[in-house]
Amino acid sequence: MIIRQDICVGCGRCQPYCPTAAIRFEGDKSMIDQDVCYECSTCLRAAHCPVDAIAESPNVYDYPRALRRYFSDPSATHAATGIQGRGTEESKTNDVTLRVKEGEVGVAIEIGRPTLGMSILDIQRITRAIARAGVHKIEAHNPIHSMIANEATGDLKPEMLGERVLSAIIEINVKRDQLRGILRTLKEVAKEVDSVFCVDACTIVGPNLKIPEEVLESIRAEGYTWRPNAKINMGMGRAWE
Amino acid sequence: MTHSLHREGSMESLESEYVLFIYPARGFNYKGSAPKVRHNVELLYQAGPVNMIPTSLRRNMYSGVTNEEILDSITVEGTRVYSVFNSREKLKKSLLLLKEADEGISIMVSGVTDRVREIAAECGITPHMINLSLGIHGRTDRLAPADIREFTTMCGHGVVSPHLVKDMIRRVKTGKVSEWDGSVLLAEPCTCGIYNPCRSAELLREKAPLYTVDRW
Repeated sequence: MIIRQDICVGCGRCQPYCPTAAIRFEGDKSMIDQDVCYECSTCLRAAHCPVDAIAESPNVYDYPRALRRYFSDPSATHAATGIQGRGTEESKTNDVTLRVKEGEVGVAIEIGRPTLGMSILDIQRITRAIARAGVHKIEAHNPIHSMIANEATGDLKPEMLGERVLSAIIEINVKRDQLRGILRTLKEVAKEVDSVFCVDACTIVGPNLKIPEEVLESIRAEGYTWRPNAKINMGMGRAWE
Repeated sequence: MTHSLHREGSMESLESEYVLFIYPARGFNYKGSAPKVRHNVELLYQAGPVNMIPTSLRRNMYSGVTNEEILDSITVEGTRVYSVFNSREKLKKSLLLLKEADEGISIMVSGVTDRVREIAAECGITPHMINLSLGIHGRTDRLAPADIREFTTMCGHGVVSPHLVKDMIRRVKTGKVSEWDGSVLLAEPCTCGIYNPCRSAELLREKAPLYTVDRW
């Protein structure tokens, strides 16, 4: 995003809207630090600049900078997946798709959340750690998949490494007995990254929303706890295509 | 992905709201989904959501858009809907209506697990899957303070800025804006439509006295 300096009146209204504090005064006008900007377009969409000085950067869709837009603007349709957002349907349609099956756990690593973002170099630290832990299949419908140069090592395409995104999601499926190993790996790599990630674990439940004890035991054994609130697929979908 | 399982706050506050998604599955029930999703949204209106966005419009309930415009936008196959309710009773009503309609589109609910379990049992619904939040890891020292995250985590995409929350606390504290109007402003950047302005207004009322302001 850019602020047209010939139009800006320096009211500063847009500045608090930026999730990454990329907008600041330069002299008596607001300007956007292009290194820091995630291209999420929140300033354009919500700040209501009184003189319409906020505009798209002319290079917003140039590769690889375009990654910032695809991963950071919730309303942008990702070029790699053709859908809005940076994840997939994941647990939300599992009652129909059965992508995560009985005996499996879907693990999602929500990168840069909440509201911090992450460099793609740090994302590579995570994909490499996951690969070292023996998981080489990142969900194919997730935009992260299109960024991988080498599935065996978890290396991402080198030209992307200088970019940063507000959020991204790494989605993998593991057998229940592999969950402990991957949780341990994530705890280790958390020490190496300069940002944050949230960890999700999806599992099919039993009657009355009973969570499989084997899953809970793995979570406890690796020193994790789970929040009292969760996202629950109510099991009301069906396939017809 | 709306990050709704990672909403932060006190138990009492978290128990006051439920996020509900209507989600067709690409390749499984996309074709022919639009009228079914539209019917489900008509049913949600009967239960009274406090915010809602269909992906076909991406404008929340407080943007000036009418209910009819929201419904009329749902003509695109695969349209997903994100909504939030501010009471257990409203969620239960919506689930009963959706169950009776049986349109076959996936429904997700985010909320306190024990409460959702109770509501599902009361509705005769058998949940299929749970997505557990195992917390935040890494440089948590770089995060906004926990009380600010109670606001920002209501927007899963992270586009409700901590700086905007702090600015809104200042504006409430200095009488520039009411808690409700401030919350509607905070909801605007969130294009997934699950920022809960009712809960936000409560939070502003609760937090404003705790902050000092450095400009009026």
